[in-house]
Amino acid sequence: MFKKSNLLLMLALSLLLVFAACSSDDDTPADAAEGQDQETTDSGEATGEYQTEPVVTYSFFNAADSGRDINTNETVLGQLFEEQTGVNFDLEHIVGDINQRIGVMVASGDYPDVIVPDAAIDTLLDAGAFIPLNDLLEEHGPNILEMYDEYIDRFTMEDGNIYWIPFGATVNEFKPMANIDQGAFWIQRGVLKENGFPEVTTLDEYFDLITQYADENPEIDGMRTIPFTGLTYDWRFFAFANAPNHLAGFPNDGDVMVDMETYEASVYADSEHTKRYLQKLNELNAEGYLDQEMFVMNYDEYLAKLTSGRVLGFFDYGWQWGNARDALRDAGDPDKEFMALPIVFDEDIVDQYIEPPAFTQNRGAAITVNAENPERIIQFWDNLVKEENQRLIMWGFEGEHYEVDEDGMFYRTDEQLVLTAEQSERDRVGMSVFEWNWPRINGSFSDGNAVEPRRQAEVALADYSEADREYLEAYGIETFAELFAQPQDRPWYPAWSANIEQGSDVQIFEERSEEMKKRHFARIVLADPADFEKEWNDFVEAYRSLDVDAFENFFTEVVEQRLRGEW
Amino acid sequence: MSLQQTPTPTAPNPSPKGSVKNPTGFKLFLRRCKEQRVLLYMSIPFIIWLIIFRYLPVAGWVMAFQDFRPARPMFEQDWAGFKHFEFLFTDPRFMEVMRNTLAMSFINLILGFVTAISLAILLNELRNVTFKRIVQTISYMPHFLSWVVAAGLVSAALSMENGIINIILTNIGIIDRPVMFLGIGEYFWGIIGLSDVWKNVGWNSIIYLAAITMIDTEQYEAAEIDGASRLQRIWHITLPGMRPVIVILLIMNIGYILESGFEAQYLLMNPMNMDYAENLDIFVLRYGINMGNFSLATAAGMFKTVVSFIFLFSANSIAKKLGEARLF
Repeated sequence: MFKKSNLLLMLALSLLLVFAACSSDDDTPADAAEGQDQETTDSGEATGEYQTEPVVTYSFFNAADSGRDINTNETVLGQLFEEQTGVNFDLEHIVGDINQRIGVMVASGDYPDVIVPDAAIDTLLDAGAFIPLNDLLEEHGPNILEMYDEYIDRFTMEDGNIYWIPFGATVNEFKPMANIDQGAFWIQRGVLKENGFPEVTTLDEYFDLITQYADENPEIDGMRTIPFTGLTYDWRFFAFANAPNHLAGFPNDGDVMVDMETYEASVYADSEHTKRYLQKLNELNAEGYLDQEMFVMNYDEYLAKLTSGRVLGFFDYGWQWGNARDALRDAGDPDKEFMALPIVFDEDIVDQYIEPPAFTQNRGAAITVNAENPERIIQFWDNLVKEENQRLIMWGFEGEHYEVDEDGMFYRTDEQLVLTAEQSERDRVGMSVFEWNWPRINGSFSDGNAVEPRRQAEVALADYSEADREYLEAYGIETFAELFAQPQDRPWYPAWSANIEQGSDVQIFEERSEEMKKRHFARIVLADPADFEKEWNDFVEAYRSLDVDAFENFFTEVVEQRLRGEW
Repeated sequence: MSLQQTPTPTAPNPSPKGSVKNPTGFKLFLRRCKEQRVLLYMSIPFIIWLIIFRYLPVAGWVMAFQDFRPARPMFEQDWAGFKHFEFLFTDPRFMEVMRNTLAMSFINLILGFVTAISLAILLNELRNVTFKRIVQTISYMPHFLSWVVAAGLVSAALSMENGIINIILTNIGIIDRPVMFLGIGEYFWGIIGLSDVWKNVGWNSIIYLAAITMIDTEQYEAAEIDGASRLQRIWHITLPGMRPVIVILLIMNIGYILESGFEAQYLLMNPMNMDYAENLDIFVLRYGINMGNFSLATAAGMFKTVVSFIFLFSANSIAKKLGEARLF
């Protein structure tokens, strides 16, 4: 049996390799942990309202985004804030699976000083990883309390404590986006131009326009024209399933639409709206106007398709296909770019694509039990949310990153637009570091300028190309968002941000319904039109066998609570 | 990369039933230990590894019977009985998930074995060493690709527009117009099986090549003198020579029958083929890990272990009955 022993030796060797690989992995977090709480002795003058000595370095773990792992004082703004408060942060961004990473943290109790836990926020809260911030804020965070004033209740937990600070409290006036980065039916601009810039409101008009153009232009750049497509891959499937909700004149509240009079939440997956939309797609498919790969492509293939210039229309959220949008702009054929249209089912429906001011209270930055002298962190945050510092983070330095016109409004020159769009510049100044994941404001400054440059009309206008202006003029609008109706008042918005208890029936319903929609919607749309009714009824039956009522009741309750001001 | 096999001198088979002249029982055991102490020392790190990473975590199975919440001591958790097992086994999708898992596992197992053994034999028969090296290197290169990349390649190759598979098949006239391979659920198992072969065949063949090099060359010379053809030599010398390795690997792989892979299925899955793509690992990811329900994930893990155990032992005892090489 010498062969067997050899075989075992080989297995042993491979195990050794695995072991070696594992152990080196395990070292990294330990090393990082040792590096935390290092106090550097730096002799800076203690000026201003904050304690600036000794200079303290805190560890900061960001589980929400990937990014560069640097110290905040390696950026211009980080340096400035360190001078003001004597605090800097060693940033660490998540690599790999969030639950796994947070799970290890919880099991070992080895937390960073500050954490942005994203989806793992409940796990950490449950584990008692956060310290309550109420007293600290009372004592050291007057600016935070002022800026977050009307939102404080929303992120105060049932036990009366505040454990994290969410991002983006709207202060002063809410500024909607000048361009559409939210849901919309997009259309290739050439289609509009060819037809003399028609007004397109209803779904039928939209599809008529597209199919007619596709008939006239069966090929674009030598490739087959794709009249209509959509994104259905993995968790992004909602970009397909949400469309009927928008067509019916509701904003993205998640899986439910909330009645504006009774404030009742109801699912729309098996509603007439969804049926109507799917039936339309089913017809398009039967006539060969639907992208055959709609339910097969992955996200990359989808983006590649949009970039190819052969797609005439699709529904999606603007932020999901930003890469493709940039690529189309760079390609330099303005008629191949897309324009957002507020499409609805019928003329009398008011579109609600633009999101009402929203505040996501169940995400934020938290201080953990491991942090020494947490008041220094609060002081740093307090300094951060001051208007002048927010202006630096969002806009940069006057003369370098923005200009001020005679009315006191900020704008950016062409060079400044290019400069501030450059990642290297944003990294150098520290805009990319501080613009999110730290306590911050949104809306507008006390002087009327938008907090975020992208919400400033002056900036958007300066950024429009000649071709953009042609379309804007043809439709008699100043910004592309003007085609869309202003958001109605929905104080509960967005319903989907409700805290759903892990493992609860509501959560299991969400998962099951998501899976069911994926399976059935593809079948319904691709079915022979004669089988449409049957496929649809199959879905409704399956869907109704789930605990729909519990789900609807949960959200109705959430809406009621929020209307009462309990978040 | 080359595997150098130093032919071990034929060590006496350490059978516990030694001859009557030798000491027996505990004394024999101690003597053997002394004789083989170097080997024992060498195995210590692995035994420690085994205990820490394979035996200690078994205590965590307790989680399967609780509503586990992290960072709470083990015995302050809420006990849930068999709730999670019940959820697992009564879920309407469970049977389909098991069907997919087993089907893909068996396809991978059989395809993997047949192709890796064939490749090893073919490579062994090559006389041109340079060509052999090139083929070997190219064939195991995909193994080092992550599935994320590999799935991207597979999906691009199978694409309806400009996918190389569709282009080739239409040009040689097998199909009239492009087929949406990833959109037809029935094809999914085959796609996974073939992708797995493409990715791993070279790598898997290494161990068989090593087994072949251990076969005494005199046997080939003798066969040649007796006038055996190449095919006869493969059939009568190479294959029997590899048999112990094949059987042992087969037994071990059968133990992993519920591990049908995760990344490939997850990445190639879409709404149109999910009926055939969703396997146990994806199911557990969705209802266990994604929902923070570690108890359900543990319950599924326990179930997998029990099934593996049964398969492993049955395969081993069948091998034993047939008088083949076996694990224990």
